Amino acid sequence: MEVAAIAIFVGALAVIAFEFVHRTKVALVGAALMVIVGVLSQDEAIEAIDWATLGLLAGMMVIVGLTEPTGVFTYLALRVAQLSRGDPIKLVFLLAGVTGLLSAFLDNLTAILLVVPITLLIADLLRVSAIPLVVVEVLASNIGGTATLIGDPPNIMIGTHRPELGFNDFVVNLAPVAILTLVTVTAVLALLFRRQLRVDPARAAEVGRLDPTRDMRGARNVGRTLAVLLGTIVAFFLHGLLHLEPAVVALGGATVMLLVAADDVESALERVEWSTLFFFLGLFVMVGGLEQQGVIDEVAEWLADVTGGSRVVEGMVILWGAAAGSALVDNIPFTAAMIPVVDSIQGDEFDDALWWSLALGACFGGNATMIAAAANVAATGILERSGQRISFVRFLAVGLPVTVLSLLIATAYLLLFQL
Amino acid sequence: MTQLRRLPLVRASVPETATLGDAALELTRAGVPAIAVLDTLERVRGVFTSEGLLRGWYPPYLAELRHTAFLDDDAMLAERADEVRGEPVRPYVERVEPLDGGDSRVHAAERFLHAKVDALPVVDEGRFLGMLSIGALCAATVEHLAGSQEPQDGS
Repeated sequence: MEVAAIAIFVGALAVIAFEFVHRTKVALVGAALMVIVGVLSQDEAIEAIDWATLGLLAGMMVIVGLTEPTGVFTYLALRVAQLSRGDPIKLVFLLAGVTGLLSAFLDNLTAILLVVPITLLIADLLRVSAIPLVVVEVLASNIGGTATLIGDPPNIMIGTHRPELGFNDFVVNLAPVAILTLVTVTAVLALLFRRQLRVDPARAAEVGRLDPTRDMRGARNVGRTLAVLLGTIVAFFLHGLLHLEPAVVALGGATVMLLVAADDVESALERVEWSTLFFFLGLFVMVGGLEQQGVIDEVAEWLADVTGGSRVVEGMVILWGAAAGSALVDNIPFTAAMIPVVDSIQGDEFDDALWWSLALGACFGGNATMIAAAANVAATGILERSGQRISFVRFLAVGLPVTVLSLLIATAYLLLFQL
Repeated sequence: MTQLRRLPLVRASVPETATLGDAALELTRAGVPAIAVLDTLERVRGVFTSEGLLRGWYPPYLAELRHTAFLDDDAMLAERADEVRGEPVRPYVERVEPLDGGDSRVHAAERFLHAKVDALPVVDEGRFLGMLSIGALCAATVEHLAGSQEPQDGS
């Protein structure tokens, strides 16, 4: 059974990595196979599903889905383009900053879905290539999302799995290194792309004359919607004091949002990305199968042997290993598999440094390739639908050096302050 | 039962080798929400709709955007119209299952309620008869309900 569990999981990862079939189908088929061949029972499969993660994701999807029609995100992106006044360095910094900030407090996939379409428009209006700007946004989204518990799926999974790690713990331990990395990486990208992003002053002036508030005047519920969004974010900061799980905060915010801003519940719930939720569901069952067969414990024991039980080496192996695994596969399934491994490595003594190593490795590793994170896949998909294509190699040429630079910063941070 | 072939169908189509410009002209000439796109044997390969025209005419990312009230037409249309006129219509063709000339009005109504297009091609033994729009179907139904003289099958 152990061999069957490994074969199903590795096979599923391979199919997900090469995108032969939609990843949700792969995860669900993998989960079904785990049960059918007897790797784990039906009851064990249901127990393996992390409902808190699914609840947190679904709640945030509803909140963001009902905030998006207010036009506030388009307003933000357009104002940023106007503030840059055609200066490519400023444009890159401002877009990276907004994307990073939205990623931290919404999640990086949502931030990309909100920002990339308006970026294509801005690039068109400024008559510059959209590709460098979208690449900057993708990289900024994965780095910005590292800063909070809700910013990136790996953090959501880690935070909901280990209740000891609250929203504020993520902010205190990860936001400083995420901000430092974002500033450093953005500076490098601004220098790299500055020639491609030279803007004709006449075009910049034309963009400057656009009135981004025009679309918000007719939007209903702007005040109430933004109040609920901000209230939810504040509740995340206070969830420890309030004794509320992050998933409860997200679902509570979604419930209030539905009450105050949704005339039609059915159409509001259409904004939930069910394929993503089912992908996670299948993934949890597959990882449950690996745990059930003792595979996770064996990997943890092997890691302990390799690292000689040294905490520093363990942290480094988790950081760089998670980044490499995320780059090759996708940081969501890789993190799902790594969480029980880290559980096993730390044993009975809770060690948050190992979890920060995993979070930094998985989130930063999401920048290495086009397939490493859901945000990357979504951004390249939007680019393709708009008739612009970025090749795997072209993304890799920027993404891989940025990942190595980010990991070097993370290594220094972990060695100095955590390990 | 009123067969669809007896309803006012609009013979509006372009060959699948047509350009976006040709299809746009035919769509506006015919005054229906969609026209058929046919192969060399006059079989329906799909439909070209008003939405397809918008998708071709405007930058592709427009469909990804939700808020554009701050834009003016000049900014969006500059240079693009000439660029796309000669493009093939094929990428903008939507696959649909045609209605059959022998189908009933109620079947057509059900298809429209579930279809994303406002006009569907009607075929007889695979050959294109014409486009049936929601408007034409509604008009025929209203006439029937009002007890007007409606041509019946076999009459």
